[in-house]
Amino acid sequence: MEQDEWAVTAELAALKLSEGEKKRLVKQAEQMRKLYLSMSSAVVDNLEPTTHASVVKNRVRKDEVKPFKDVDTLLDASNELDDRFFLIPNVL
Amino acid sequence: MPPVKQLWFSALNKPHVRDKYVQRVREIDKKIGSFLSFKLEEQDWTALGRKPLGGVPVAVKDNIAVRGRKLTCGSRILENFVAPYTATAIRRLENAGALVVGKTNMDEFGMGSSNEHSALGRTSNPWDLQRVPGGSSGGSAAAVAAGLVPLAVGSDTGGSVRQPANFCGIYGFKPTYGSISRYGLTAYASSLEVIGLFAVDIRLLETAFETMHAEDEFDQSSFSTNISGSEVKKIAMLDIDPGMLETPVAEAYTQAAQILRERGYVVEKVNLVTLKFVIPSYYTIANAEASANLARFDGIRYGSGSGYSQNPINLIKEARSRGFGDEVKLRILLGTYVLRSGFKDQYYIKAQRVRTLIRKELGVLLRNYPLLLMPVFPTQAFLRADSEMDNYKQRLSDIFTCLANLAGLPALSVPIGINRGLPTGVQFVAPAFGEKSLFDIARGFSEVFPVQFPPGALEIERMR
Repeated sequence: MEQDEWAVTAELAALKLSEGEKKRLVKQAEQMRKLYLSMSSAVVDNLEPTTHASVVKNRVRKDEVKPFKDVDTLLDASNELDDRFFLIPNVL
Repeated sequence: MPPVKQLWFSALNKPHVRDKYVQRVREIDKKIGSFLSFKLEEQDWTALGRKPLGGVPVAVKDNIAVRGRKLTCGSRILENFVAPYTATAIRRLENAGALVVGKTNMDEFGMGSSNEHSALGRTSNPWDLQRVPGGSSGGSAAAVAAGLVPLAVGSDTGGSVRQPANFCGIYGFKPTYGSISRYGLTAYASSLEVIGLFAVDIRLLETAFETMHAEDEFDQSSFSTNISGSEVKKIAMLDIDPGMLETPVAEAYTQAAQILRERGYVVEKVNLVTLKFVIPSYYTIANAEASANLARFDGIRYGSGSGYSQNPINLIKEARSRGFGDEVKLRILLGTYVLRSGFKDQYYIKAQRVRTLIRKELGVLLRNYPLLLMPVFPTQAFLRADSEMDNYKQRLSDIFTCLANLAGLPALSVPIGINRGLPTGVQFVAPAFGEKSLFDIARGFSEVFPVQFPPGALEIERMR
């Protein structure tokens, strides 16, 4: 596969790879991609995809707002605050 | 009440023993490096005595939230993050009297089989400090094996509890998907990953599981289905090409079957035609989910961020590029690739259909046999930076453990003694919610192969 395809993929994954990383990771990614291709011999024509491991029917909560009681703890985890707002670095 | 609980409670309820315990943990863990943080907090010991797990110290893998303690996931990007709440599974253990004493080292975000992918420290196998403890929950396994705690919590996405338990000579348990709430677990692959347990004693493990098993309003995939187990007379044994296993592992596997036969079980060899698809299917799905689950780590609201950048996208890229290690970047890259428009059907959807195929074959097998006996990993604990066991080979070696995750089934890794100076073991897989069969069979094995401790391990009974 073209090296460019992995560059596009890295862009989509919001990863900035150094030259060293590109060299190492692309080689390993290609190795894994070839492994993935070994599934091509599996006969799965009439099978539905399994999207989840749950063996019992899923259930959902009531669609109602429950305020989180400990907002301050979440704010404390931020890198920088301005009053009760997350402060993110300046960008041009 | 498990005797191990009584042993630990009667030791630690004495203040002078608690001081000696903390000191000894710190001494031993200087060599092993199982804990990223350790603190025994003050307790009401009178009240603890009445609880089923009262006074039992528990180590928790550092991808599971415990309020007020760091939640690093073994990653630079969360190095200073403190959890704002406690995972339901841990809260239930604490309500039963268990004491969270520390957070344990792990492969970054649970991605790895050796603990060598932690960004925050090195963990060694207590049986041989030159060897890995396994992964990704290697810190939890090493802490239990070294006697620092009798019980630890980990997470198992493709074997991350069972393989390190096997490398360290203790019990490692992956429950049925949904039987333990995942609320508060930083999962990298949500459809595969569960919270699991390590223990030195099977009764203690069972008590801990019964405590944790419940439906949770915060995890819609959790269920309170009754845990059962049928009477086991016939056990399937996966027929393995002898070349796939290292000699001590093959010997343990044969020995386990022999003991079962001596105890009156019928052990029949079986094949799984889909076994060859387990690894490609698992790694396609796991990495796809990883790329989505880890997209939230952008360093903006929490976690290590970038100080400055020319535009918002670069700000995020900088934070992720500095914060993630190689293995995490590789898996995000692969996961993003298999979900890309044009490739999705060929890789991701195909893997999901293959998962259906694997589940079907395993389902038929477990209708005929209530338990499946398998190896855990093709080798014993390997050397750190072992050229014979590179990252790719480690992934291929997950073949026996990933199966239970793809099918959402419970599985238990059981120690089978020490061979050539290192622990060996086997695993059993049961039908969904058939955990009791696993515990029953392990209780039988524990009479023949009680958990052994390496030289220099902490012996709580000597501190009383």
